[in-house]
Amino acid sequence: MSDDLPIATLLGFGPDGWGWALVSGAGLTLAVALGAMAIGTLLGALLTAAQASRAVWLARAAAAYGVILRGVPELLVVLLLYFGAPGMLAAGAALFGLPPPGSPPALLTGCLAIGLVSAAYQAEVFRGGMLAVPRGQIEAAMAAGMGPFARFRRVIAPQVLHHVLPPLGNIWQFNLKDSALVSIAGLAELMRVSLVAAGSTRRPFLFFATAMVLYLVMTSASTALFRLAERRGQRWAGGR
Amino acid sequence: MSEELAFLAATALAIVRALPITLVLSLSSAIGASMLAAVLVAAQQTRIGRPLAHVWIFVFRGTPLLLQMFMVYYGVAALGPIRHGVLWPLFRDPLFCAWLALTCCCSAYIAEVLRAALAAVPTGQIEAAKACGMGRGTRVRRVIMPQMLRLALPAYGNELVMLIKSTSLASTITVVDVTGVAQLVIAHSYRTIEVFCLAAAVYLALTAGLTALLRRIERGLAQ
Amino acid sequence: MIRAGAVALALVLAGCHGDALRGDVRELVIGTEGAYPPWNFTRADGSLGGFEPEYLRDLCARLHRRCRMVAMDWDGMIGALQTGKIDLIADAVQITPERAGVLAFGRPYALTTGVIATLRGSPLARLGDDGVTMDLDGKGPAFAAMTDRLRKGLAGKVIGVELSGAFDTFLTQTFADRAGPGVSIRYYRTMGERDLDLLNGRIDATLEDESYIRPLLATRDGAALVMAGPRMIGGSMGRGEALAFRPGDPGLRAQFDRVIGDTLADGTVRRLGLKWFRIDAAPGAVRR
Repeated sequence: MSDDLPIATLLGFGPDGWGWALVSGAGLTLAVALGAMAIGTLLGALLTAAQASRAVWLARAAAAYGVILRGVPELLVVLLLYFGAPGMLAAGAALFGLPPPGSPPALLTGCLAIGLVSAAYQAEVFRGGMLAVPRGQIEAAMAAGMGPFARFRRVIAPQVLHHVLPPLGNIWQFNLKDSALVSIAGLAELMRVSLVAAGSTRRPFLFFATAMVLYLVMTSASTALFRLAERRGQRWAGGR
Repeated sequence: MSEELAFLAATALAIVRALPITLVLSLSSAIGASMLAAVLVAAQQTRIGRPLAHVWIFVFRGTPLLLQMFMVYYGVAALGPIRHGVLWPLFRDPLFCAWLALTCCCSAYIAEVLRAALAAVPTGQIEAAKACGMGRGTRVRRVIMPQMLRLALPAYGNELVMLIKSTSLASTITVVDVTGVAQLVIAHSYRTIEVFCLAAAVYLALTAGLTALLRRIERGLAQ
Repeated sequence: MIRAGAVALALVLAGCHGDALRGDVRELVIGTEGAYPPWNFTRADGSLGGFEPEYLRDLCARLHRRCRMVAMDWDGMIGALQTGKIDLIADAVQITPERAGVLAFGRPYALTTGVIATLRGSPLARLGDDGVTMDLDGKGPAFAAMTDRLRKGLAGKVIGVELSGAFDTFLTQTFADRAGPGVSIRYYRTMGERDLDLLNGRIDATLEDESYIRPLLATRDGAALVMAGPRMIGGSMGRGEALAFRPGDPGLRAQFDRVIGDTLADGTVRRLGLKWFRIDAAPGAVRR
């Protein structure tokens, strides 16, 4: 199909070019990473709360979740969800006497798989962040007559944020890179697009190198953004 | 029911047969990555080596390992000097390509761990060692290295756990490791959940075992 | 088979309008994978191309029906057919006994064979029985002898196939019951990866549909490859490709069967086969 085409055509935005596919693939990569981050934050916060819970079984279940999801390859989690989800959904639907709903959208499966892993790591970060605020400070703020909002805004949030932002930045980077695993589920994100392009043009070096550059742009741009946020956070906390 | 048990037993046996591949890949890339990381940190101490080490770490930490695997296996292997050169017998082998990608990738992460540990060694101690008349080699061997290793151990252990998990990516370039076997069994039996749970249990045992071992070493060093 | 994302790329087939709008005839929704070239694939701009999009456009025009083709994952396609999200499947669906329970097959519009492709210089290029059609449902001494030759030729070789395709079933069945050197099968997730390794010489050969291999041989890189050995049909490789309908929808199937018959008779299928596969893939074109 694309024998002997020059590099500019292959990477361009013309009819034979993979430019748009690569750019939209990078967009989907960001979407998976963002979705996974959101799922991970929600579930991670729940896990942190569960681990602090007085119900022993709940705390143990949350701890076990963390140990398992941090000890098992991310690839297995993605594969389990991708191949297992249609069966699980069908079994669920059968309980209500419904026909099997087929496979869920690949984007959802991907966000969920990366998000489930992300949650285990985010829970650890939140736990560390909670420990960073001494109980005495909260009591002192209460004694000083601060309401719950003022306490959160002026005492808890600045300190937690200061402790939590750098490790969350790390987790974001991992989400971004782990999103490549979702290519296994057939989602046309950057990894998948570069693989399909490499296969059909038979120019693997060119397309994998291009994908590497695009990933580097995304990871270094987000490093810069997180640095900025950390500085802002410090200023918000009253500056140092 | 007995049919189900027979299937699980056969699957477990197939997975255990693939375990040596996962273990060999983990161990060899742990050794390779640690040695390369030491070279990177040493290079960072020189003027010419610093930017090179920086680029290496930037590239391998900033891109997905899966992409690096494909780059080594399909991309680099397709280049003329490799495809038609003396290195082809090595690159022809998927296991070698997986080892190379894992070594390069993990070396970047371990180098960061070692660099942070090196920076954390108190300068006072190094100066004291100098004042005692220790030569450069003795200083590195008797003062810097022991401190560095102790400081680096927890983070280094985390990287090794990550490495064991990462070996599963070798299955994407046709290596039949634990994950690869699991996928093959599923493709032929359409039984997903029980097969993946068996494979996950193997990795969990490996990572938990390593974590326990590292804790013991840490305790031993602390005393 | 490449698993496409489940994002349905809607495509209104041009040329389906015409007088189809008269009356209240509902638009037909056709499911396809959009990722199985040259049968059907998604172009860089998102539109669908290939044998089936062009053929179905022709069929719909003959039926005076408005049709829309949507790309979806193969995993979800049968479910979508059962729940009525789509009215029929056009995705190189092979007629196999296992599928006959859930799908009602129309008249086959293509019959393609499985072939072995290898590098020109490979010893496998001289496998023997070149181009002879081998019916895997066959019996008798001639068939047994052919199977034996094939088995001897492939013994000890590395054969790359797509994961969960029909071809590894054939290989495992052929080599399972025998002692002695078997084949080592290497599995790939996409055909592109398998092609790269075949061209690199990491694998000795591949087993793939002729409709895929012929166009590959016509490319610059593919010129390094040749087809060797017999062309296989039947058994695990199925007996032709057909449209799939809901079993409870015989009316629609009958309408399509009528126009499929017309396209087989007037040479339309032959013309499209030569255009997309570089072979006449019409049923009946395969001769013993």
